[in-house]
Amino acid sequence: MHNTHIHFSDIGIRFGHQQVLTGAELEIISGRCILLCGKNGSGKTTLLRIIAGLQTPGSGFVNTGIGDHGWNKYRQQLRQTTVYLHQQPYMFDGDVISNLNFSLNNKLSRKQRIERINSAIDWAGLENIAKNPAKTLSGGERQRVAIARAWLRDPKVLLLDEPITNMDQDSRLRTIKLLINLKQQGVALVVSSHDPVHFGALTDTLLQISEGRVHGFSTTDNVTPIHYRKHLNAHVKQT
Amino acid sequence: MDESTSITLDAIYLLFSGDAELWAIIAVSFQVSSTAILISVPPALAIAFILANADFPGRRLFISVFNTLLAVPAVVIGLTFYLLLSKQGPMGDWKLLFTQSAMVMGQAALCFPILVAMGHAAFQAVDKRAWETARTLGASPTLAFYTVMKEARFGLLAALFAAYGRIIAEVGASMMLGGNILHYTRNIPTAIALETSKGEFSQGIALGLVLIILAFTLNTSLQYFQGKGHLSN
Repeated sequence: MHNTHIHFSDIGIRFGHQQVLTGAELEIISGRCILLCGKNGSGKTTLLRIIAGLQTPGSGFVNTGIGDHGWNKYRQQLRQTTVYLHQQPYMFDGDVISNLNFSLNNKLSRKQRIERINSAIDWAGLENIAKNPAKTLSGGERQRVAIARAWLRDPKVLLLDEPITNMDQDSRLRTIKLLINLKQQGVALVVSSHDPVHFGALTDTLLQISEGRVHGFSTTDNVTPIHYRKHLNAHVKQT
Repeated sequence: MDESTSITLDAIYLLFSGDAELWAIIAVSFQVSSTAILISVPPALAIAFILANADFPGRRLFISVFNTLLAVPAVVIGLTFYLLLSKQGPMGDWKLLFTQSAMVMGQAALCFPILVAMGHAAFQAVDKRAWETARTLGASPTLAFYTVMKEARFGLLAALFAAYGRIIAEVGASMMLGGNILHYTRNIPTAIALETSKGEFSQGIALGLVLIILAFTLNTSLQYFQGKGHLSN
């Protein structure tokens, strides 16, 4: 069942004199969700951007199952398999439909495009805002449009940077519901958040980043769910 | 009827009576300036995009150079290309002096810094996430560039219109490099200068009206396109 398996190891990156990440290790598997926790500026976004192929790491290894290649080759593959969602997703000029249309392959016919866009609108519950200018949407609506736009790309891995920050409870629940649905479809999720308590139902592996280092806790591999839950609670109390 | 009213009416008559000489001058102007813009836009926008998005040593110096070039007078550009294209100059063998090609070169050199400087400002105003979002959604670099251009379209359109307005109305470089040859290199500004020096004000005013109508059309178009855009958050 696990047809995506990407392993990052010993990832390091430095900006100027500041070492942002050191020896970061991460294993991305289809249908599993990794939650990256850490304070602001701890390196969560940088790690997500490296996984998305948007940032070149200073050091480290990537294993995507295509053999030993240079970073450019991996970057190309990572860009084909992942979609990265910014903390505040960018909406292109135009309405929600034209934003969804952006993700679709140019080879699709007009009829196929309309069908796929309608299915995305239906899937993400965007019926009421489909014709609204995308730049005028609220934070929660933007996030759902961005997830639907990513869904249309059929990504193997979805990377989300603080996806529910500054959202009301209703928007938060709707967003998490979409993410759970994606996970059930076999999409690997890597989510960063400084507020991990909301992702309990979604998370398989919790990674905490502090001082540039990644510390891992897994619900299924290394520790039992009880230990994981304890760690989660301890982390919530700390932050 | 006083003299100025009579001259103005003559000018309007000349313009709308289809005077062949007048329309030949207008045609040369549009041909030369449109060619200059067309050959300048692709490299200028590419440079503007790189200056707005890439980080490399000397980037700030490049920006300063292009901003400085904005202030260079047309006659200085004309003089520089005159020296390059004259018989003794390094490009003298090309025999381009007093041709439309020489005028195109001069006008391209004039509009290039405008396109780069204003294009750079337009690209810089676009959120960096636009490029990344396009790329992460599978766009090729070319499609992502086109997407960012679409996001910056109002600023880029303003750059295009400003550059076109600058070169179609400049007289210095066109006069020095084209030589003001009737039916070949005589364009609107050089014809206005010549007719005024001869005391033939009607044709000068008629050509001036063309420039004013053009400026009005360009500005109105820009306002129209900008008015259609939504305010971005």
